[in-house]
Amino acid sequence: GAQIRSCKDETLVPMAVMQARIRAVSLRNGLEEPPAEVGALLSHALQERLKSLLEKLAVISQHRIDTHVKM
Amino acid sequence: KLNQGGGDQTSQLLSRPRLQELVREIDPTMQLDEEVEEILLQLADDFIDTSLSSSCALAKHRHSSNVELKDVQLHLERQWNMWIPGFGNDELRP
Repeated sequence: GAQIRSCKDETLVPMAVMQARIRAVSLRNGLEEPPAEVGALLSHALQERLKSLLEKLAVISQHRIDTHVKM
Repeated sequence: KLNQGGGDQTSQLLSRPRLQELVREIDPTMQLDEEVEEILLQLADDFIDTSLSSSCALAKHRHSSNVELKDVQLHLERQWNMWIPGFGNDELRP
């Protein structure tokens, strides 16, 4: 049967801060406030973006150390 | 003084301790220079601001009165090739 897996719902950004930012940008664009899930989705997306960047940074800095040791 | 990610809010979205937590999750031995931290915090702000602006443009394009999940999802997919599971219409995805 189908199996549902999920991770604990902990957001990277405090939702109150995120919601305030969303409200401000929406108003500036002449739009109403979006549903709360939008903030949660953006927070998860940011987490993915930062994770991928940090993983790349780790590889780069390790490479810098490795080449330095060889010389 | 640096403009905080071009956002019009004074408060930064991501806090330094939360960023450090994320770093520890990825690699517990990893150390970030303070300048690198600063850039990452600003980058986080920019990411949210540009994603929000694009989502607003998409919502307006379909004559909606507010941004919906699908606007953000479309932006994330087109711009970053990113799909976050667990939001709405997962069963439609491969």
